[in-house]
Amino acid sequence: MTRGLRQAATSRNVGAAAVYLTSYLLLDWLSYVQPVLKLGITPWNPPAGLTLAYLLVFGPRWFGVTAVAALLSDVLVRGHSPISPTVLACSLWIGLGYGVLAAVLRRWKLAQPIRGAAHAAWFVGLAACTSAVVAAGYVAIVAAGGELPRADAMGSIARYWVGDLTAILTLTPLLMYLPAWREGLRLAAGRSWEVVAQLVAVAIALWIAFGTSATDELRIFYLLFVPVIWISLRWGLQGTMLAALCIQVALVILAQDEAHSPPLIDLQFLMLTMSATALLLGAVITERSDVLRRIARSEAQQRALLAMAPDAVLAIDRAGRIRSANPAAHKLFGEPDDPGAHVSAQSLLPALALHGEEGRAAIDGRRHDGTTFPSEVAWAKLDAPAGEGFLITVRDVSERRRAQEALRARETALARAMRFAVAGELASALAHELNQPMTAVVSYLRSLATLTEPYVAQDERIGSTLGKTTQEAIRAAKVLRRLRDFYRGGTSKRESVDVAELCGAIATAFEARARRASTELVVRVDPAVAPVQWDTTQLEIVLHNLVGNSLDAVMQREPPRRRIELCAESSEGSVLFHVSDSGPGLSADVLAHLFEPFTTTKSGGMGLGLAISRSLVRARGGDLLHELRGKLGGATFTARIPCKEQ
Amino acid sequence: MTNPTVFVVDDDAAIRDALTLQITLKGLRVAVFSSADEFLAAYEPHMRGCLLTDLQMPGMDGLQLQETLRARGVILPVVVLTAHGDVATTKTAMRNGAVDFLEKPAEDDGLIDVLRNAIRIDAERFQAERQRLEALERLERLTPRERDVLELLAEGLQNREIAERLEISPRTVEVYKAKMMEKLRCRNLADVVRFGDIARVGANAQSAALPGSASI
Repeated sequence: MTRGLRQAATSRNVGAAAVYLTSYLLLDWLSYVQPVLKLGITPWNPPAGLTLAYLLVFGPRWFGVTAVAALLSDVLVRGHSPISPTVLACSLWIGLGYGVLAAVLRRWKLAQPIRGAAHAAWFVGLAACTSAVVAAGYVAIVAAGGELPRADAMGSIARYWVGDLTAILTLTPLLMYLPAWREGLRLAAGRSWEVVAQLVAVAIALWIAFGTSATDELRIFYLLFVPVIWISLRWGLQGTMLAALCIQVALVILAQDEAHSPPLIDLQFLMLTMSATALLLGAVITERSDVLRRIARSEAQQRALLAMAPDAVLAIDRAGRIRSANPAAHKLFGEPDDPGAHVSAQSLLPALALHGEEGRAAIDGRRHDGTTFPSEVAWAKLDAPAGEGFLITVRDVSERRRAQEALRARETALARAMRFAVAGELASALAHELNQPMTAVVSYLRSLATLTEPYVAQDERIGSTLGKTTQEAIRAAKVLRRLRDFYRGGTSKRESVDVAELCGAIATAFEARARRASTELVVRVDPAVAPVQWDTTQLEIVLHNLVGNSLDAVMQREPPRRRIELCAESSEGSVLFHVSDSGPGLSADVLAHLFEPFTTTKSGGMGLGLAISRSLVRARGGDLLHELRGKLGGATFTARIPCKEQ
Repeated sequence: MTNPTVFVVDDDAAIRDALTLQITLKGLRVAVFSSADEFLAAYEPHMRGCLLTDLQMPGMDGLQLQETLRARGVILPVVVLTAHGDVATTKTAMRNGAVDFLEKPAEDDGLIDVLRNAIRIDAERFQAERQRLEALERLERLTPRERDVLELLAEGLQNREIAERLEISPRTVEVYKAKMMEKLRCRNLADVVRFGDIARVGANAQSAALPGSASI
């Protein structure tokens, strides 16, 4: 696989090298006009542009191929001997010089197609420096070989340098865009009339500048810049460079006719200026269109974000007037009576006090119809470039507030009922525990009455005292009984309780605790379960106690094994609520007194939970049962609640 | 037959002690048990008197004890004591055949009267039971024909009608009737009717409720 890929890459590189060599030779042959002493010094040297593009795309390590291209070109186009040391040295020097430039450009991440002014400027600067060094070296080598008179050296260097640089500035950026030629062609086809008009403009400019004898010697060359600027404004970098290339080809062809030709070096500098200008201008235009596209995209994204935002978003100016509002804001505040009038933020958020860079507040919002709602407001200051003012988000929290209040009310009711149940159970336990000795006391007192009968005749007070003592003891017992009855009866309601809803509420109540304890709390309600006629709060107390106990029990296990299950199912006219856990189950000594008050295995427990639960359930015909080893391995408690109270 | 005894079942030692004192001072015999199981282990069918039991006890409670006794055919009258006298429990206890129901502590000094009443009921029940047994024993001696005559007489038929029904002569009916009344020691028709009832019930109920054959 890897080998196959490597083979494919190699064949691609070899193919590219072949194409490069062929193109190089062809371009060199075509552009070999007005050379200096049959040397590679021409006024316009497109092979240099091709070489740099090739090295940028395929990497500077292929500089050898470019040296070979230069050598072949010297041999085939100019008929030099391949074994001349001067020719070899020149070829190597050219390959090395542009190899270094390609390496530097790649190193500074400038080897991509040019899309910005800074990139273009760096490219121009580096190319100018490198081609100057290459030109100087080339001329020096040739001069050292004795093939060029020393007096012509400076002129040759300038000519060589400008010829190479012009070609590099024009051809290299264009070639870098070559992979996107289809897209360019499609764009041009879409505006073919404009293309034709621009071509005509270029032709007219060329004709005026060079075609007539009236306009001799490049005097009005600047006309050429008009179509170039037009083209660059419309097409960006690619179109501009293409136009520059066309003009340069035309100029080179015109320069063949030496009779009408202006001085060659003037023409060269005109071409160089045009190339540099076209490159920088094209880069600026391309960058501008990129920026415009980016802005348009980000604006569209922002619009979509604002449209989707669940919160109202208002942009206000310095005077507090609302400049824009998203759909959520319209929905939240309604529509004003007069849609055209300026609405101030103060009228929607009367208590709003904007200060600082950003802030938050919980204040009331006022709709256009005058109704108010609780809201959470956040604001951020907008700075001058974005227009001075504030950006405000408003969130309607009435729903959340209501839910919180309902939850709090439910918790309060549960806590009160729980306290009442605890008091009731305490009273009941107390009544039972004290009633026993009171019973014994009364019984003893009656025995005493029997025993003292013989003495009552001597002192009547014995009998009456005993009688009063007995009555007081009975009264004390009655007080206890009344206390117990007060908590036992009359406090329970009867309402239709939705079993699934009840179980869900229990699960919600324990959600946070279960998560903290890494316990999995599963609720399973048989969908066929009918509602029960019962007191919701009392049932909640029972299930609360059972699940709470389970949660304490599973804490004796390691986290992955902490599981609690709350199931509800129908059974013979009753609903069975099973609470199972994976705790250690019930021990024998706890079991004997399981439902008695003050039996607890917890250090912080009063031991009333199960006693209360069973009292509550039994008081209305249900029952509370237990299994030592339930389905999850720990205890299972089952509250049986008759659907209809007995 | 033993002397009537009040069998007190309560898990609270002080109450057992106090009740023992209170009841013995009024001249009744008392036996105390700390749990239902303890009482069931000690009880024998010949024991007479009444049961005074607490309702709320660990293990088997008062209502369960009552039910167990009923299932075993024990006719001992039960007086129930409870600290939490709610309507549902009272109803159940009474349905199970409790003869009386007292709150702990009892408001008036009616305990002894209640117990005496229970003991009297026990004695009556026992007496009735003994008479029934005796009657059954006498009924055993009747021949099938004499028994037929007894049953038809108890239904209120005349001699002539009985003769027709059994397809015998009225004279023969007279003879069976005389023998039957002699064996049962009946002096008049009312006695005959009473025996007829016992015969019918005895035939249905067998002798399950008899103290003599009750199994504990």
